[in-house]
Amino acid sequence: MTQTENLVKRLPNDIGGLPAEPIRRVDHELEPWEKRCHALADVLDYHKIINTEEKRCGVEALGAEMVGKLNYYERWIVAFANILFRKGILTPDTLARKMAEVEARWTAGNQSESGDITPS
Amino acid sequence: MNPPNQGHDRDHAHGHDHLHAETGLSGRPGYYDIMETAVRELLVERQLIGPDEIRRQIELLDSRTPALGAKVVARAWVDPAFRARLLADGRKACEELGISFYDDTQLIVLENTDKVHNLIVCTLCSCYPRPVLGLPPDWYKLKPYRSRAVSEPRAVLAEFGTIIPDDVEIRVSDSTAMVRYLVLPKRPEGTEDYSEEQLAALVTRDTMIGVVPASVEQGKAPQ
Repeated sequence: MTQTENLVKRLPNDIGGLPAEPIRRVDHELEPWEKRCHALADVLDYHKIINTEEKRCGVEALGAEMVGKLNYYERWIVAFANILFRKGILTPDTLARKMAEVEARWTAGNQSESGDITPS
Repeated sequence: MNPPNQGHDRDHAHGHDHLHAETGLSGRPGYYDIMETAVRELLVERQLIGPDEIRRQIELLDSRTPALGAKVVARAWVDPAFRARLLADGRKACEELGISFYDDTQLIVLENTDKVHNLIVCTLCSCYPRPVLGLPPDWYKLKPYRSRAVSEPRAVLAEFGTIIPDDVEIRVSDSTAMVRYLVLPKRPEGTEDYSEEQLAALVTRDTMIGVVPASVEQGKAPQ
């Protein structure tokens, strides 16, 4: 079987039955943003803005490379952004500007904070 | 961005080195953290979601732990009529005990017997009976469990230290966005005198996923 044939037969999420290494019983406490991301997924589902199945498909649509390289909640938030673009709810430009604003806000807040504790 | 590892190995590391590298010592939010904040704020600005909804949902998520599922299982062990209702309609029976379902999912409860051992998985992603168990552990969401649970469940169970006799059938149920499963483990022997509360203490998260049996020794095992 060729490699591309395998890509056609198995989308990135479709891994049931494939060989894989032994199970390592790993777990971790969610980072605050990961928990917010999970809550956002639920709220988007409540409002039928993005339902669970759309989210799963959205993750699949990221393609094998992103599915392989982004971690769990990274895949979710990127999938949400893409779905919101597709539905015309947000545009890439709006999101990019908002992200710059969020980052600038953090930097400003952090500078004033560190300013407060800097010994004179 | 730190350089990602290869393929599924990358998954194993997730949540540890990667996230810490992203957030760093400065506490500077990472790219995806910023994206989450930005998406959320834009949706609130557009009044598509309420300003308090995320916080309230986080509180709801925090209130869901395997203790709820344990309560359901212990009740089913002591109350045959409840057990029958639970097996007939999992969601309705849980709601009877005051456990609300905050999503549209149905719950099918799978009873372990002397002849059948059940195991739950979500091969496509990470569907899980969250209203009664809380969020799934990472291993449930990672490739090894998702891939192998359906094709070699006995080997998978053995990795959890669970050996199921050959004359016991193993049934693996693959969850979907709409249908979630919960395993009703067998009541351990020698617990005839236990109170419902004592029984609930024997029921761990992993017993309700089906990777380990409920036992007097395994009760109170770290979740």
